[in-house]
Amino acid sequence: MRTKLVALAAAATALTMGLSGCGSDSSSNSGSSSKGGTISSQMIFGGPPEFKTRTDGIPGLEKNYGVTFGKYTVTDTGGPVTVNALKRGQVDAVDLFTTDPAIKANDFVILEDPKANFAAQNIVPIVSKDKATAGVKTVLNGIQAKLTDDGLGTLIGQVQNDKKDPADVAKGWLTENGLDTTGTGAKGVTLTVGSANFPENVILAEIYAGALTAQGATVKTKLNIGSREKYYPALKAGSLDLFPEYTGTILQYIDKTATATSSDDVYAALGKALPANLVALDQAEAQDSDAVVVTKETADKYKLKTIADLAKKN
Amino acid sequence: MIPLDAASSSPWHFWGYFLDHRSQDLGYLWDHTWLSVVPVVVGLLLALPLGWLSRRYNWVYPPMMSITGLLYTIPSIALFVLIPPLLGLDPLSPLQVPIALSVYSVALLVRVVADGLGAVSPETLQAATAIGFKPLGRFFRVELPIAVPVITAGLRVAIVANVSIVTVAGTIGFDNLGRLFDEGFKLSTDTPYYPPIILGIILCVLLALVLDGLVLLVNRLLTPWRRAVPT
Amino acid sequence: MIGDVFSWLSDPTHWQSTNFDTGIWGQLGAHLRYSAIALVIALVIALPLGLWIGHTNKATWIVSAANAIRALPSVGLLVLLVVIIAPHFYGRTDTGYVIPTEIVLVLLAIPSILSNTVAGVQNVDRAVRDAAYGMGMTGPQVLFRVETPNALPLIFSGFRSATLQVIATATIASYVTLGGLGRFIYDGLAQQDYPQMISGGLLVAALALILDLLLALLQRYTVSRGITGRTRRSDRAGHSDEAPDPRSAVLTEDLAPEAA
Repeated sequence: MRTKLVALAAAATALTMGLSGCGSDSSSNSGSSSKGGTISSQMIFGGPPEFKTRTDGIPGLEKNYGVTFGKYTVTDTGGPVTVNALKRGQVDAVDLFTTDPAIKANDFVILEDPKANFAAQNIVPIVSKDKATAGVKTVLNGIQAKLTDDGLGTLIGQVQNDKKDPADVAKGWLTENGLDTTGTGAKGVTLTVGSANFPENVILAEIYAGALTAQGATVKTKLNIGSREKYYPALKAGSLDLFPEYTGTILQYIDKTATATSSDDVYAALGKALPANLVALDQAEAQDSDAVVVTKETADKYKLKTIADLAKKN
Repeated sequence: MIPLDAASSSPWHFWGYFLDHRSQDLGYLWDHTWLSVVPVVVGLLLALPLGWLSRRYNWVYPPMMSITGLLYTIPSIALFVLIPPLLGLDPLSPLQVPIALSVYSVALLVRVVADGLGAVSPETLQAATAIGFKPLGRFFRVELPIAVPVITAGLRVAIVANVSIVTVAGTIGFDNLGRLFDEGFKLSTDTPYYPPIILGIILCVLLALVLDGLVLLVNRLLTPWRRAVPT
Repeated sequence: MIGDVFSWLSDPTHWQSTNFDTGIWGQLGAHLRYSAIALVIALVIALPLGLWIGHTNKATWIVSAANAIRALPSVGLLVLLVVIIAPHFYGRTDTGYVIPTEIVLVLLAIPSILSNTVAGVQNVDRAVRDAAYGMGMTGPQVLFRVETPNALPLIFSGFRSATLQVIATATIASYVTLGGLGRFIYDGLAQQDYPQMISGGLLVAALALILDLLLALLQRYTVSRGITGRTRRSDRAGHSDEAPDPRSAVLTEDLAPEAA
């Protein structure tokens, strides 16, 4: 079976190479066509489709740092395809999330962002106003106060690498931080917690749900909802009551023209931008923002420290 | 960092994965089931009059077959994204998937119904008319029952195809068993994480088999005379 | 919305590729390349096998086995093969994603071609075959000079439906990050650029319809007239044999044991 598969694969490769000979992408490292010969112009960038057009994506990198990449390869949204592509040399620089445990595990280097191209992305619970009782607020803000970058990274690692169930990981974290104490703080409140479909967001939703349940609330969960285009309208219409969000992204989603970048500015702007029936509780210190990431070898080879270094001449 | 037993990535761990995520997986299975079945039922209800028309009026047949043939030619993912603008729906309307699948089912079943009705011999029709059936009664009590086996075969093809096409809707973010593939894909960091992928494939195949069996069962119940006569 | 789609499609910059971006022509090329590779491999495997099975009536279980593959969800199979194969490739290449895609496309194309070829050869009129043997033809001569030309309409139908399936599924290759026209659908979805997404859907649909039409024309001019019976307009009752439709061929084949 295995030999057959390999034989088939070999045949397919041979054919692919034969047929696609003219369009071989590997020619991009011949510097002949590079305009200006900057480091980035010879690089292939890997990231999700939306990074190509987002204001803080490729257009932002060009505007803020004068960085233009030679080619863009669509991978996934900070997932295994992106990590693999960077690790195995299919691309040279990628868009990953700062909390991704793969960055540490693979010795990847996050390029600094001195001009704050990427807005702050502090974790913030968005709640419908009529469910945000004093008790609910206390419970959620208690969680927010304990969420740190490192803590978050560990949680994601447990789901992504150890394949633990997000609900169990959330339970463990609540116990560890003494937040699973039972009480009646949120008694009488019935709410539905939603989450997007990536591990970190699911864990956060499970944490919120777990703590609220312990405090007597009746909680339903609706996890792994595909895209913001689907869940945000549900939140606005009231079929979801609570959602773990990221300040920068949700602000950008509601207000396409938003320009705030620092944590406090973004948080303040978000408070104003939210519709009347939604409210943002405390933002956590923990952030999960986009970052331009390269391998250690690439960083050493070109002496890269910040994103601006990519615009240097080779 | 040591993977726990319960967190095994081995392909054979799909059952454990199912038990760990029972409510979510059963939800996906339920979504997948109704997305596979309802469009075929809707498709059949629409195909019966259309098929009858193309049989009753000869000039209807060729254009009807061309149109349904063309519809069936359109790839599913394209039909999913084309339905909302054509019907003025929201680009992410949850209705686009069942509507697209119903379109496929109609496209497939019109021909089957027409051909099934065409297979009823003229002698049978004359006999039915002679013993006093009105056209409508003749259709429901003579022609349609005789066409059941042929229609059944078409339904089987439609329903099994639907089970597979529904997973395509999973790739553009609609809930069904296709989400399990997405899940496995996302958790395959460095080494493959098989359980959700294998579970998804197994549940899809089982669902196809069960639905296929149900169609056969209904066919058997609707055509008792076929068992009465040893063939 | 329709107007937005039209202006997206009529923007020349969306058709041309730049160093950074692949345009419609480029993705169309990729789409056709993936599809053509798969169809060639599937033909090389399924056609001789089908002719042999049909001629000798041996190993007919292979046809059932190939048909059983159809029940597998192609998305699941694709993801499974990608997570197994992709990590083994290093460097600036997408081979790790191309190979799984090609395997899935080949697996999808084989059943239609194989079962239609077998059915085509088996359906050849007994009297015709006996006459050929009676004229002193050898087994291979009967196969290649009598059975194959007679089976050609059904073989062609199988190839047509295989082509449609491959074109449709090659679109999903974009889900595992490859190029092809599906790129516009998945990118448009992620970028909330619905005109792009809908244009992608239109392009894929147009490609499928045009290829099907071309194959139908090709079929018309390659299959012997003596076989299609298109010498004159025969009576309408015979339409199902007269114009073999890719689906009906498969269907009638499925129906055969049922209706018998």
